[in-house]
Amino acid sequence: MTSEQTMAPVTAQAIQEALLSFLDERIKSSVAVDQDLFKSGLVSSMFAMQLVVYLEERYDIAVIGPDLTLDNFRTVQAMTGLVLRLREAAPAENA
Amino acid sequence: MPDQLAGLRATVAELIGDQPGRWDVAQEIPIGLLRKLGASGVLCAQVPASFGGLGASSQDNGELTAFVGSLCSSLRSVMTSQGMAAWTIQRFGYREQRVKYLADLTAGQLAGIAFSETEAGSDLLAMRTQIVPDGESVVLNGQKKWVTVGRYADHLVVLGRHGDGAAFIVVPATAAGVRIEKIADPLGCRAAGHADIRFDNVRLPASCVLGGGGQPLSLLFTTALCYGRLSVAWGCAGITRACLTAAATHAKHRRQSGKPLAQHQLIAGHLADLLTAEQVCARVCQHASQCWDASSPDMVIAAVLAKHVSAGHAARSAATAVQVLASAGAQDGHVVARAYRDAKLMEIIEGSNEICQLILAEHAVSAHA
Repeated sequence: MTSEQTMAPVTAQAIQEALLSFLDERIKSSVAVDQDLFKSGLVSSMFAMQLVVYLEERYDIAVIGPDLTLDNFRTVQAMTGLVLRLREAAPAENA
Repeated sequence: MPDQLAGLRATVAELIGDQPGRWDVAQEIPIGLLRKLGASGVLCAQVPASFGGLGASSQDNGELTAFVGSLCSSLRSVMTSQGMAAWTIQRFGYREQRVKYLADLTAGQLAGIAFSETEAGSDLLAMRTQIVPDGESVVLNGQKKWVTVGRYADHLVVLGRHGDGAAFIVVPATAAGVRIEKIADPLGCRAAGHADIRFDNVRLPASCVLGGGGQPLSLLFTTALCYGRLSVAWGCAGITRACLTAAATHAKHRRQSGKPLAQHQLIAGHLADLLTAEQVCARVCQHASQCWDASSPDMVIAAVLAKHVSAGHAARSAATAVQVLASAGAQDGHVVARAYRDAKLMEIIEGSNEICQLILAEHAVSAHA
C-alpha cells in the first residue's frame, strides 16, 4: 500500500470509483454500482478472489470468515459498504 | 527466514531418509511420521505464528515444498492437502474456528480437503453435495472423489452447497455416516492416501460450517485452489530438480563406448533440457509466491501459470530422466520412476492442463485484448 492511498480520504464515493476502475481494468466492463456482478456472469471464479485480495491490499483490511459472503460482494455498493464497515471495526484480527 | 528454512529442510530430510521408494511400493507413509511432521508445523508452514504455525512466507513455504517434492511427491501431496485445508480455515473460518482447527493442524492432526465429485470436477455447477441447516445442526450428504490424505485424515474439509451459496464444512473423519474407501493402486503419489468418501446424512453441529456458510461457491473453490495450485507448482519444481540431479549424476558416471554418457551429444541435449526446465519452474513459482507475499491480485493467475508450466515441465523432465537412466531407473520406487508416474498426475489434479489453458486463455482475452 502506497502512502498516497493511505492518505486519500476513504469515502464511499472514493471506494466506488476505485472499484469501478478496477473492474473496468480487469474485466473490461463498465458496470453500474447496483448491478449484480455474479448474476450477470461478470465475475468469474478466478476474479472473485482477485476482488477480495484487491480490497484487502488497497484498504488495509482483512476480509475473512463471515464477511466473505456472496451478499457482501454482489454489487459495487455492497463491497463499498463492506470496506467502510471493516475499516471502522477493530484492527484486523487475523494479523 | 533462511536459517529457519535450512533447519526445517534438515529436519524433514532426516525424518524422510531413504524411505520414499519403500513408501511408494507399500502405498503408505507411516501415520506416526505424518503426525510428527504435522506437529513440527511443516505440513502447513504458512499458518501464522499466532495460530500455532511457523508463519512462513509463500516463498519460504514454496522452497520447502519443492524440497519435499524432490524427495517424495506423496508426502508433498500431503503437504498440499494440509496447507490447503489450513488456508481455507484461516480464510473462511470464524475466529473460534481458526483458533481451534489451526491448533489441531499444527499439532499432528491431518486434514484432507474434498472438492471433486463423479460429475463435478471443474464444472462447479454440477456439484451435488449439500449442507442443509437443521436447527442447531447441519446435515451433510454427498460423495467426493480422489480426496488426498482421505485415508489418513482426522478432519475432512468438505465443499458443498449451502443455502443460496456454498460452504466448507469441517467433518471429523470418524463422524457417523462418513465412509472412506481407499483408492487402490493410484497411478502416482501412491502413498498420499487417496480415497473416495461418502457422506450419508452426516449430522454435525452448525459450528462446523466455516464462517457460517453462504459464501459464493466460486470464491470458496478458487481461494482453496489458489493455494493448492501454487503448492503443486512448487512440488513440480522439486520433481524437475530431482530428475535433473538423477540424470546428470548418472550421465556423469555411466560410461558408454569409452566415454561418460554426458559426452554423448544426444544425452547432452537431454541434460540441457532438464536444466532449462528446472530453472523455468523455479522462476515461475518464485514469481507467483512473490505475488502472494505482496498480496497482489495477480497471484490468482500467477498461481495457475506456475502450476501449468511446472506440471508440464515435470512430466516431460521425468520422461527425459527415465530415458537417460534407462534400465537403472526403470523400477517402481526409483526416484525417476516415481517422478514419471507422479508428474503425470500433476498434469491432471488442481486444474488439468486443459483447464489451466482455458483459464489462461480467458485471462489473455480479458487482460491483453
